[in-house]
Amino acid sequence: MKDVKRKKRRKRKLPIPYLGIYTALMYIFLYVPLVVVVLFSFSATKTTVKFGHFSTEWYVRLFNDPNLIKALFHSFEIGIVSVLIAIALGTSGALFIVRKQFFGKDVFLTLSQLPILLPGIIIGIALLMFFVNLHVSLSRLTILAGHVAITTPFVMFQVASRLQRLGTSYEDASKDLGAKPIKTFILVTLPMIKTAIIGGGLLAFTISFDEIIITYFLTGTWMTLPVYIYGMMRFGLTPQVYAISAIILVFSVVFIFFMARFTGTKAEEAER
Amino acid sequence: MKDRKNMTGLQKTKSFFIGVPIAVWMIVVVIIPVLIMLSMSFRVKLAPQVVSPISLGNYIEFFKRPIYWKLFLKSLRISLMVSFVAIISSYPLAYFISRKLKRFRNLLFMLIITPLWVSYLIRIIAWRTILGNKGLFNLILIKIGIIQEPIRLFLYNQFAVIITLAYIAIPFVFIPLYTALEKIPKNLIDASIDLGANEIKTLMRIIIPLSSPGLITGFMLSFIIALGDYIIPQQIGGSGGMMYGNIVWSQFGIISNWHLGAALGFILFATAAVIIGLVRKFGSREGVYM
Repeated sequence: MKDVKRKKRRKRKLPIPYLGIYTALMYIFLYVPLVVVVLFSFSATKTTVKFGHFSTEWYVRLFNDPNLIKALFHSFEIGIVSVLIAIALGTSGALFIVRKQFFGKDVFLTLSQLPILLPGIIIGIALLMFFVNLHVSLSRLTILAGHVAITTPFVMFQVASRLQRLGTSYEDASKDLGAKPIKTFILVTLPMIKTAIIGGGLLAFTISFDEIIITYFLTGTWMTLPVYIYGMMRFGLTPQVYAISAIILVFSVVFIFFMARFTGTKAEEAER
Repeated sequence: MKDRKNMTGLQKTKSFFIGVPIAVWMIVVVIIPVLIMLSMSFRVKLAPQVVSPISLGNYIEFFKRPIYWKLFLKSLRISLMVSFVAIISSYPLAYFISRKLKRFRNLLFMLIITPLWVSYLIRIIAWRTILGNKGLFNLILIKIGIIQEPIRLFLYNQFAVIITLAYIAIPFVFIPLYTALEKIPKNLIDASIDLGANEIKTLMRIIIPLSSPGLITGFMLSFIIALGDYIIPQQIGGSGGMMYGNIVWSQFGIISNWHLGAALGFILFATAAVIIGLVRKFGSREGVYM
């Protein structure tokens, strides 16, 4: 009896053979739009949708567009600053929620996830009304506030996961050996969560760089790249949009590789 | 913990200081703005610069005028459909990659996540191109000869909005599905097969129920993404594909009725909060810290 069953199992191939094909089709579905963007960025025609002959005209135009270059730098600026702030807030927050017990922790955790779970428009208009009521005019600072709002939870939870997985044994050992809390943190904890912080930071940067939904409400005249692109989308889609999109696409893919290296479990094991 | 017992009361209090920055962040960017939004929603704009005292006027507007509550219901419906599409298309994918493949699993997983980090706006632009009048879809159909003139109905309607929203949502849905499916122990599957069930039965009776936390979380993510979106309906939906997000958004534009916008926004907030709360109860209990 057992032999018959064992034979059956070995002979059993993929009973749903179309799964493989389906998967391949899904990947195509996911990537065709991106390929289209790159293709059209090299199209020479002015109408944005019909494919003309090969041309890099739009890339040239792109680099000659000072507002776009400015917006690009602004996005980097906001990205870097908000990541730094998010790391400071997120790491301290992670230490707080993982190592300390307190009343209402569940509520605290839920509240800290709200900025990323709620629809962006809510955060956007809530922050907008907040600033207006304080008579704060829209500027890079208001944009920064919005970005810090949504990037901090990502860093915090990345670091918190790592902290939880690490356990307290290393820190306990350090304290047993007489090290003060600050020393323990710098010499023991920090090196162990290093890659979680970096991974969270990279994640936060990507989110900040691409952010439009909240940023739109918090923007005055000082624009980030997505705001600029959104403006182009609303008031006239020029082929330059494809060019900048293709560039962002390439950078994103490169960025992901870096991220994968820092947040993989291999990196985590290496740290131990 | 022995150092806890040896700490004085002051030391214990001091050690909580580590939580001050994050608590300040939470108060400043989450709690206060929402409270302000709430308080603004209880004042009705009577004229430019003139507001009424506390009143439920804005909320009454929402229920009185069909443009608001009907649009809200329509958005709920669209969001439901987007979520169904996203889940149904992602599930076989997650199932295949997590259970059937050994070698390329991580790579394939990353490949699904990758579009997430490609700009949201770019993906919208891409779909506008594909679905448009002179877009890819029409170009191909004309070239094949199925139609002579471009079909206008791909873009600027609900169908286009649902596709684009689903496209955005799929990576968000895939992650919890994959995580949930991956966690199902292989010995349970083996046991099911030993007891004589074929693959379909195993799927229905064992795998799908066990992956339900992932299903619920994925559904919630997709639903909320779709519900509050205003950019996709605006760019892709035209007038037929308009959603609740558009009308909230427009209160902060030329119409400039921020108080009504606050009320409409708070309704959206409350709906999302309720859904999030429900999912926390019945969704994935794993990964408290995500």
